[in-house]
Amino acid sequence: MNKKVELSVVVPVLGRIDDLDDLVSGYVDALEGLSTDYEMIFVVDGGVDEAFESLSKIAKASDRLSVVRLARYFGEATVLTAGFDQAKGDLVLTLPAYHQVEPGSLSRLLDEIDSCDVVVARRWPRAGGFFESLRRRTFHMLLKVLSGEDFNDLGCGVRLFRKQVVKEVHLYGDQHRFFPVLAGRYGFRVKEVDVAQSPKDHFRGRYRLREYLHRLLDIATVFFLVRFTKKPLRFFGMIGSAVVAVGGAVVLILVVQRLFFDIGLADRPALLLGSLMLVLGVQIFALGLIGELIIFTHAGSIKEYTIRTIVSKSGNGDGGDPSVRRLKVKGSV
Amino acid sequence: MKLSIVVPLFNEEESITSMHRAIESAMQDFAGSYEVLFVDDGSSDQTFDIACKLAERDPTLKVVQFRRNYGQTPAMAAGIDLAEGDVIVTMDGDLQNDPRDIGKLIEELERGADIAVGWRYKRQDKLLTRKVPSRIANWLIGKITGVPIRDNGCSLKAFRASVIKRIPLYSDMHRFIPAMASIAGTKVAEVQVRHHARQFGVSKYGLGRIYKVLIDLLSIKTIISFSSRPLLWFALLSMPFMIASIGCILASLLAVASGESMSLPIAGTGVLLGSLAMFLVFGGALAELVYKTGDVRLGKLAQLTMEVE
Repeated sequence: MNKKVELSVVVPVLGRIDDLDDLVSGYVDALEGLSTDYEMIFVVDGGVDEAFESLSKIAKASDRLSVVRLARYFGEATVLTAGFDQAKGDLVLTLPAYHQVEPGSLSRLLDEIDSCDVVVARRWPRAGGFFESLRRRTFHMLLKVLSGEDFNDLGCGVRLFRKQVVKEVHLYGDQHRFFPVLAGRYGFRVKEVDVAQSPKDHFRGRYRLREYLHRLLDIATVFFLVRFTKKPLRFFGMIGSAVVAVGGAVVLILVVQRLFFDIGLADRPALLLGSLMLVLGVQIFALGLIGELIIFTHAGSIKEYTIRTIVSKSGNGDGGDPSVRRLKVKGSV
Repeated sequence: MKLSIVVPLFNEEESITSMHRAIESAMQDFAGSYEVLFVDDGSSDQTFDIACKLAERDPTLKVVQFRRNYGQTPAMAAGIDLAEGDVIVTMDGDLQNDPRDIGKLIEELERGADIAVGWRYKRQDKLLTRKVPSRIANWLIGKITGVPIRDNGCSLKAFRASVIKRIPLYSDMHRFIPAMASIAGTKVAEVQVRHHARQFGVSKYGLGRIYKVLIDLLSIKTIISFSSRPLLWFALLSMPFMIASIGCILASLLAVASGESMSLPIAGTGVLLGSLAMFLVFGGALAELVYKTGDVRLGKLAQLTMEVE
C-alpha cells in the first residue's frame, strides 16, 4: 500500500531547537487541515541526541512522520540535502525546528506555488526592536545591491519548493540561507509571501561578531557566484585596475614632487603604500587570468543555461537531458 | 546533409513572425533537410507564445525556452548543443541578418572551409555608437589574436557541427569563435552578407561593452598563448617588472660601490618589483598546471579538424 505523497515536509533539527512536542503538534494540526497527503521528515544533525530521543517518540505515534539521524555534525546545508533525498512528494516544504511562524498560515504558501517554483515566507508583521530591524534591513539591502536579488527575510526557514528545484540546486557550506537566491539564478521563479510570525519567535542569544563576519562572507560568496563565475577576469580585473590606479596615482604624485619640488622620497611612507598597491593590483589581475584559464579548460562541464521547455511538432525524444522537460506541443491536440 | 539554423531571440515579438517567414522562403530551394531552432532567452514579452504558434504549423521548427535571461552566447550554445544537423548556422533574431545569405555560407563550407563567417560589408547601424567601436574592436581582436577577421560581431555564421560542438562557448565568447577556431587549425572563410537596418525595437547592446570586450580580449590572449607556448605569456608580463627591478637594484648597488649611501626608495622599489615578477612567473607555472589538467584545449581541436578532412 504505497500512498502517493503530495507534500514532503523537511524539518532540519540542529542549533536552535524549541520544545518539540508543542511545535510538532502545531505543525501536524496545520498540515492535517490542508487536505493534502503529506509526509514529515525530521533530519537530526549529529550531536543533538535529546532531540532525537523525543522525536523518535513523537514519530512512533504517526506513520506520516519519520526521523533521519546523521552520524556526525554536518551543518544545515547537508541536513537539508539529506532530507530532500528522502522526500517523495512533488512539493517540498522546509520548516524550522523552532517557533518562527504561525502554523495556521502555512496554507498561504501552498496557494502561491501554482504560479511559481519557490515560495519563501516573510514574517510580517514582525516583532523585534529597532536595532534588530536595522540589522536585518542592512543585510538584505547589501544583498540586493551586490546580487540584484530582492528578498526581505532570508532568515526565515519556511520555504516551499517544487521537487525539481531541490533536485537541481546544489547546496553546500553555509548557503542554505541563500537557497532562494540560488534558485533564482537557476532560473526558477521565486515569490515572497507574508506569513504571520509566531508570538514565541524570539531569539534569546546575542549575535556575536563572528556571526556578522560570517554573514558578510556569505554575501560576498553569493555576489561572486551570481556575477562572475564565468568571467573571473571581469571581477578581478575591476578590483585589480582600481588598486593599480590608486597606487599609480600616489606614486606619480610623489615622483612629481620629488622631481619638480625637491621633496625627498626617502622619508615618505606614502611611497610604500603606493608601490605596494601597484604590486597588489597586478597580482590580483594575474589571479584573474588564471581564473579565466580554469573556466576555459572546464567549459565542457559548465552549462550556463537552464531550459524550461522545448516545443516542437515532430517531438523525437527529449535527448536525455535532465534539465529538459518532456517535449510537448503547447496548445495543440 | 542536414542543416540546423539557430536563432537566439530576446524580446523579438514584432520581428519573429517575419523572421520565420524569411527563413522559410530562403530555405525553399534547399536540397537537404533542415531544422530551425528558436532559442527564447527568457523574453518578457510574447516571443515564446508566438514562437509556439509557429511551431504548431511548422514541423521543422523547434522552440527552446530558457528559464530566465542568460544572454546571447548561452542561447547560441543551447541551440548548438541541441542541433542535430551536420552543419549549423547561427543568426540574429532581429531581422538584421538575411536568411538568403545562408546558401552562400554553406557553399563556402562545401568548398572545404570549417567555418564561414558573415561580413556585413554595408553595415546599417549608427556610426558613432556601433560602427566605430566595432571597427576598433575588430582591429584589436585581429592584432591580439593574430587572426585578422573583418567582422567578428556578425552573428550570421555557418559551422561544421563536429567543429563548433567542441569549441567552448560561454559568456560573450561567440565573438572569438573565428579567432579560436582558426588558431586551432580550422579553415575560416569570410563571406560578404547583407545587413538590414533595424526595423523594430532598439539595439540590445551599447557602449557599455567596451570594458567587457577589452577584458575578454585579455582572457582570450591568455588562453591562446597557452595553446602554443605556455609560461611565455606570464613571463612576458613579468618582463618589464623584472627589467625595472634589476635596474633599480643595480643602481643602488653601484651607489654603494662608489661610496655613497644606498637610496632606500630605489632599492625598495627594486625588491618589490622583483618579487612581483617572481609572483607572475610562478603564477604562470600554476596556470600551466591548470591548463594541462583541464579537459578543453585548443590543440585538441586541431586534431579534430584533421579527422574531418
